[in-house]
Amino acid sequence: MTTPVLDIQQLSVAYGAVQALQAVSLTVSAGEIVTLLGANGAGKSTTLRAISRIIAIQSGSLRYDGRDLSSLRPDAVVKAGIAHVPEGRRVLTRLSVEDNLRLGAYVRSDKAGIADDLERTFTQFKRLAERRKQLAGTLSGGEQQMLAIARALMSRPRLLLLDEPSLGLAPIIVREIFAIIRDLNAAGTTILLVEQNAQLALKTATRGYVLEAGSITLSGSTAELAADDRVQKAYLG
Amino acid sequence: MNLALFFQQVVNGLAIGSVYAIFALGYTLIFSILGIINFAHSAIFTLGAYFTYALMGARFGFNGLLAQTALPFGLPFPLAVLGGGLLAGGMGVLVERAAFRPLRNRGADPLLMLVSSLGVAVALVNIIQYLVGAEAYSYPNALAGLPPSINLGVGGVPLIMRTVLVVIFIISMLILFALMRLMNHTKAGKALQAVAEDPVTASLLGINTDRLILLTFFISGFLGGIAGTLVGLSVTITGPYFGITFGLRGLAVLVLGGLGSIPGAVVGGLAIGIVEALVPPDLSGYKDAVAFAILLIVLFFRPQGLLGRTFIQKV
Repeated sequence: MTTPVLDIQQLSVAYGAVQALQAVSLTVSAGEIVTLLGANGAGKSTTLRAISRIIAIQSGSLRYDGRDLSSLRPDAVVKAGIAHVPEGRRVLTRLSVEDNLRLGAYVRSDKAGIADDLERTFTQFKRLAERRKQLAGTLSGGEQQMLAIARALMSRPRLLLLDEPSLGLAPIIVREIFAIIRDLNAAGTTILLVEQNAQLALKTATRGYVLEAGSITLSGSTAELAADDRVQKAYLG
Repeated sequence: MNLALFFQQVVNGLAIGSVYAIFALGYTLIFSILGIINFAHSAIFTLGAYFTYALMGARFGFNGLLAQTALPFGLPFPLAVLGGGLLAGGMGVLVERAAFRPLRNRGADPLLMLVSSLGVAVALVNIIQYLVGAEAYSYPNALAGLPPSINLGVGGVPLIMRTVLVVIFIISMLILFALMRLMNHTKAGKALQAVAEDPVTASLLGINTDRLILLTFFISGFLGGIAGTLVGLSVTITGPYFGITFGLRGLAVLVLGGLGSIPGAVVGGLAIGIVEALVPPDLSGYKDAVAFAILLIVLFFRPQGLLGRTFIQKV
């Protein structure tokens, strides 16, 4: 395997007295889709939040492209090339679809490039194009998820963190979203995917980790994981 | 009250109301981002008025550390207003660094920030008194070259306005216009709206929230300083407590318009200005009472204020 783009070693995070992550180590290499499986509260979202530096870390190292992320502010993480689509989409409901997308490019200053990417986004996501001037809060759940992903892409990330992209969406929309995720990966974006729907996650990703109560208990290729008894019982049953 | 007088009072009210609006916007901006009322805003209002006074090269009075001193230069009033606003904006930044950020970084309760801002207000008022004493100041020849009143009437119906009020109205409207442009048509303005709606998501988009909060305090201070100067121009700077009574009215505007709503602050400011102006002269001592009575009545029917959003508690 090549040197990983994202290299997390012995990461621990606590919320007050609650230990959310305990010595978690994981890596993501360029071009991969890596998935984090686990039950609610296992620490999947916490791992993504720690990478984005929106929560404090207790100990351990976070390296991206050889750079130490642990001392960076959240905005510097985005500048470094990591975009995070948070759980629950979190579009800016009081701003228009276009403004949401433009804010996705906040760290960039190449006006022409931003305008190109905006147009490309609107060709790729027809439904966002139709709602360009509409307030993001008026979009359906699926459209908001598309907007959240499209917005993250506006920063031209090399690593995309996706937190529960299927949450609360109808199956047909979920299929659409995951087709988009695979396309993005095929186009060269490395992805770290947190997903409740283990079946879907294992089908989409190349490798995976299983988090249980803040620790990694299992890891391997998605084929290996899908064949594992414990995974079968706990997540695919 | 005859019709001509009525219109005159309405226009007077609009002029004063426009100052209420820009003053209240200073509270509104900070409230929309941090969810707290910055009580130091009224002290910054006062400071702004004094800054402009000093920048005009005017001499301070007989009391205080700076008694009988003046800057070696004097700026014309338009430049001095701008300078006073910028300096007041700088004070806003200092207040954020000293009174808000340290508490925010420790995850303190918003109530503590409110108390902290109250402390800053008291400290600033006392520093002003220590420096320049408690006497009243007026801007010397601020509007030199302009007639004391202007007739805005059309077709033989006179509408005589004090020139000062016309100037105040024009400056306030320019500032309002600039603020709207900033908020709705610039990257920084959009980013401010993003931070106001959801600071965590804003961070995930690469927005440096601390820097935008600083910018908010700068703009807020700028608005406060300009408002202080304009009120000082229309009456006088009544002393270090100048901003405190005015601050109450600003809060009334903030609540009337709807906490955190920018259009609300503008509408609320103009509304209170007009209502106050329509209080008959022999009852003018009750102006504040009338303003607050209106506030209570509106809140009875619309607890979220005129243009406020209903707050939905997010889980």
